[in-house]
Amino acid sequence: MKDIANNINYDQLRMTANKNRIKILDMIQDGKSGHLGGALSAVDVITYLGECVIDYDKKERDNFILSKGHAVAALYAELHELGYIQDKELSTFRKINSRLQGHTNLLVLPYTDYTSGLLGQGLSYGVGMALAKKLKKSHNTVYVMLGDGEMHEGQIWEALMEASHYRLDNLVLIIDRNGFCSHQPVENVISIEPLIDRLGSFGWNVKEIDGHSMEQIHSCFMSLQSQYGKPKCIISHTVKGKGVSFMENNGKWHRNIPTEEEYLQAKEELKKRGGLL
Amino acid sequence: MEKNNLCTIPKDAIESVLLELAKTNNKIVVMSSDVSVSCNIEAFHKLYPDRFFEMGIAEQSTMSAAGGMAAEGYIPIYVALAAFSNGMTWAQTKQICNANLNVKIIGTHAGVDDGQDGSAHHAKEDISISRVLPRMTVLVPSDENEVKAALKTMIEHKGPVYMRVAREPQPVIHARDCGFTIGKAEYLYDEGNDFAIIFEGTILKQALEGWEKLKQSGLSGKLLSIRSIKPLDVECIYHVADQVKIIVTVENHSIIGGLYSAVCECLAGRKNKAVVKAVGFPDEFTMSGPSSEIKEAYHLSGQRIYEIISKNNQEADYL
Repeated sequence: MKDIANNINYDQLRMTANKNRIKILDMIQDGKSGHLGGALSAVDVITYLGECVIDYDKKERDNFILSKGHAVAALYAELHELGYIQDKELSTFRKINSRLQGHTNLLVLPYTDYTSGLLGQGLSYGVGMALAKKLKKSHNTVYVMLGDGEMHEGQIWEALMEASHYRLDNLVLIIDRNGFCSHQPVENVISIEPLIDRLGSFGWNVKEIDGHSMEQIHSCFMSLQSQYGKPKCIISHTVKGKGVSFMENNGKWHRNIPTEEEYLQAKEELKKRGGLL
Repeated sequence: MEKNNLCTIPKDAIESVLLELAKTNNKIVVMSSDVSVSCNIEAFHKLYPDRFFEMGIAEQSTMSAAGGMAAEGYIPIYVALAAFSNGMTWAQTKQICNANLNVKIIGTHAGVDDGQDGSAHHAKEDISISRVLPRMTVLVPSDENEVKAALKTMIEHKGPVYMRVAREPQPVIHARDCGFTIGKAEYLYDEGNDFAIIFEGTILKQALEGWEKLKQSGLSGKLLSIRSIKPLDVECIYHVADQVKIIVTVENHSIIGGLYSAVCECLAGRKNKAVVKAVGFPDEFTMSGPSSEIKEAYHLSGQRIYEIISKNNQEADYL
């Protein structure tokens, strides 16, 4: 955790998250490509991780694996906020010769910590990194964010077993529980419930939060610091498309691109939300 | 080339190298998916329990966890039967290569060497699906001494590497201290220009048998172990193709996407003296049986190598 985590300013965090929402909208609108819904659901936790947890300037540090890599616009927005992505780069998202690849790419932008794009693999990377950190006697933590629909991938359950078998208490899994697969509700596609019971029975220490509440996010992350012996999971209840009225809980906005009119309306809503209008 | 009658199982050479290198390189870690006994790496488990990771019957997660290990600066070596470490993990291996992570993958029981377990356990497409991945290096050493040398080289090399290793006993033709260079083929014999046999390591025995038959028939040619499928020794293949009338590729692998394909891709588009013909598995699922008998049943034999080359030689003389 960063030192700032001991002196938290929730209003400031909310403002930053809202700025990131606007950047997500602009990036995707500009490139006419990307995944608004899942980025907008995940962005509060990702903002918190960037602002309060991961010190990207350190060589040996905590890591964040965005396994649901299609939500990458949220991570780029926060990395921009932290100064690792330049202003002019935001308009290169998903375009040729950009560092801002369509999914995270470790080689062109090492701050992303992980090359994503095929769902289901990120938690296993987290297991490998957490094992490695234990082996080198590092006290750093690996954070992994999965989508709730991603829980359908069998490899996730392999990794869940491995993490508890090796008692990886330096591994924190965040499930962005926005309730949607690509376009349909997860529960209509293949049910993952009872999720908390399933994860608990796999040997994980499980918490549930409102993933849009900075107070709950902070409280949960802080409480996990002092818990040992088991890998940790945060089921982060979120809303797909959070912050734009007509995108919220609407599967259409998994990877839909707004019309000019929709874009202007979305931007106005987000600005009002951030107190900018 | 060493001449003796000794035959050993190349895969059994893996562990001694890992034990030797682990003494001085504390970055080496070994990953297993419940096949440590089959792959003879249990002694490593016992001697280095903190650097051996049993991940369960979960090949996909094992491969990705190896990626995580590599991202943290370790050199993970994932050892399993080729049908598992390669055949079950393509999407995960793709992402390893996508991130250029320093993961070393060993596929034992290459080709049909897990013969009696049947077609699902036969790895006749591992060269094909690994060499297609950008950044991947693909090695095919032959006997136990060359496997040891190749393993040392792959660990020194930075980046993802796949190495296939035979379980079927192979003649020991290399000295204990032989070297191994990625991207360099090896001439075992260079005695004439009637023909060339180019083989991948796990079919060494049959390639040697073909060579002996041809030699006894009065033909003189070249015998090359390709050693490295990717990168391929293109200059060597060009040179051979300009000198001989026929090249026969020999592989314990499907003729689709393997050594034959790699050599043909290399030679297509240029004028060559040589024609290229294949000895390898057809586009079929193979039967259960001892590896040597499966190879014989599908004509992966010294006799077939001899027939193809001698027939071509007669036709060429007639023309």
